[in-house]
Amino acid sequence: MIKWMKLAVRNVLRNKRRSLVTLLAIGVGFAAVSLFYGYVSYMYYGLRVSAIRGEGLGNLTIFKAGWNEKGKLEPEKYMLSKEETERTIKIVSAEEEVVVATPEIHVSGIVSNGTASTIFIAQGVVPKDEKIIKGGWAQFRPVRGKTLDDKISYGVEAGQDLARYLGFTPGTDGVVMATTLGGQMNAMDILVNGVYDTGSDATNDKYMRCTFDFAQSLVDTKSAERIVVLLKDWKKTEAMRTELLSKLREAGIPVEIKTWNELSLFYYKVRGMFDMIFLFLFSIVLVIVIMSTVNTMGMAVLERTREIGTLRALGLKRRGVSLIFALEGGLLGLFGSVIGIFLHVIVWGAIKIISPTYTPPGVSTPVPLVVDLVPHFLFILVLCLVGLSLLAAIIPARRAAAQNVVEALGHV
Amino acid sequence: MALIEMQNIKKDYFLGEAVVHALQGIDLQIDAGEFVAIWGPSGSGKTTLLNLIGAIDEPTEGSLEIAGREVRSLSDNQRSELRNESIGFIFQSFNLVPVFSALENVMLPLQIKGAPSGEAKARALGRLEAVGLADLVHNRPFKMSGGQQQRVAIARALVTDPSLVIADEPTANLDSKTAHMILDLMRDLNEEERTTFIFSTHDQRLLDRVKRLVRMEDGRIMEGGMRQ
Repeated sequence: MIKWMKLAVRNVLRNKRRSLVTLLAIGVGFAAVSLFYGYVSYMYYGLRVSAIRGEGLGNLTIFKAGWNEKGKLEPEKYMLSKEETERTIKIVSAEEEVVVATPEIHVSGIVSNGTASTIFIAQGVVPKDEKIIKGGWAQFRPVRGKTLDDKISYGVEAGQDLARYLGFTPGTDGVVMATTLGGQMNAMDILVNGVYDTGSDATNDKYMRCTFDFAQSLVDTKSAERIVVLLKDWKKTEAMRTELLSKLREAGIPVEIKTWNELSLFYYKVRGMFDMIFLFLFSIVLVIVIMSTVNTMGMAVLERTREIGTLRALGLKRRGVSLIFALEGGLLGLFGSVIGIFLHVIVWGAIKIISPTYTPPGVSTPVPLVVDLVPHFLFILVLCLVGLSLLAAIIPARRAAAQNVVEALGHV
Repeated sequence: MALIEMQNIKKDYFLGEAVVHALQGIDLQIDAGEFVAIWGPSGSGKTTLLNLIGAIDEPTEGSLEIAGREVRSLSDNQRSELRNESIGFIFQSFNLVPVFSALENVMLPLQIKGAPSGEAKARALGRLEAVGLADLVHNRPFKMSGGQQQRVAIARALVTDPSLVIADEPTANLDSKTAHMILDLMRDLNEEERTTFIFSTHDQRLLDRVKRLVRMEDGRIMEGGMRQ
């Protein structure tokens, strides 16, 4: 095999200009795909962290069975009772993989500053657990003023546009109104502890965070709507869902568990869109690689017809001829990929140095443009392009092997 | 038993609707160790005959046996093996692989056969030394003269110790002095190693150096087809 590899390498280098054009086409294609993947990889990471920590979805959210289907119609029936909540948290927290399990209630209604009012959607959370879930994310989107505090149960954090509409600043008062689970209108005073950026234009004008106790009082219940679970390793999300579902059912608590990506519509849609763009881009590169390799190898077969005849006369079998040209195609893919990795590293380094930022649609603040260097993907892409080039070379290789020896020897 | 046994061999080529009768009933026997020249004008069928003897082409009709094996009954792979193991080729235009050195070119038939690299190298060096090219083993073909390239081709043809070497106009692209030198080399190898050489030529100046002459004309053997 080494001798044929040597022959293939030298033949690739034989027509330098043509090989260079092909290698550049493959290399640029490789870099385009790998850089896009690197960008998407970082973006998926950002969206994941944003969903789990920023949106406070955690890794898993436990609902009472039926909540997602009928919970809005009969909330009391499909909320976790105080006893169920406590037992669930105890069972879940016993798991080694669980960092925290915390109850939440989401409530919506009207918020007023006394003269003007607007709608709000609030997350009722346990402040100390909320801090754990937010983790390092809190520094990325800091709260202006004070954060939630168990000691001041009527303290809230307001989205920055909502605060601007109502003139809320840290320390100002307001009133929220919402319907209780029993259908009565309830109103409670609030103290705006802090103002925060949700990260999205669509939610900044209506989101609030309040304490879990406050939310329970507002809707007049002792139950919890959901229990948010944060895991040590996000990759174990699915396994832990199965595990917890089994244990909670064994304990006689009827629940359903959703994962963070099932609840984050934004993540789901963005990922779907970028997966499609990636597929489209990869298809274009695939066509370029195949066309370039077929063209180069086709020319090589034409130019080396007499050489093929000679090798056949010396006793090389048809499959041997196919192997030589397929190897050459594979080498084009390999050398092109090496150029692609080189281009990727250059662009990756440049982005690291320049640190550009941009504001995606619907996002309230600029985000850094980051491209990840994903070694395992680069390796897979190399294998993929080498395989593709090898396959693309098979068509001209088979044509070369099928040639009549006498005609090939007489080729001028 | 003859090394080559041809009986009533015919070969037709189809050029569109026209049929060219390149060989029209050839009977030929060649024994092991012979040094045979196929001589005749252009278009007489010399190359076609050599292509058939070299098992790179098939007759339209007739029987062709090489070392007792009927060529028409062999598959493409079996013919490739036969060529690799038993037949050496020397071409008019040398047909060396341009990206390989002289040594690598000579090693090729052995490597096709699957011989270990070390063994192939040793045998190729021996053959290159025998044709007087020990100093040029690492040169690529474009750095060698026509005569040197043809000597590499001879070394390549002989490296597998074939029973038969076929040379199609081996001196056509060489000057007169080099042509005689190449022919002398082939003849010496024939005498020393008892390798059968069959070569075509239309150069009358070379004919006094051959042991047996087969004269062709219009696809027929006019003289020397059977053993004397």
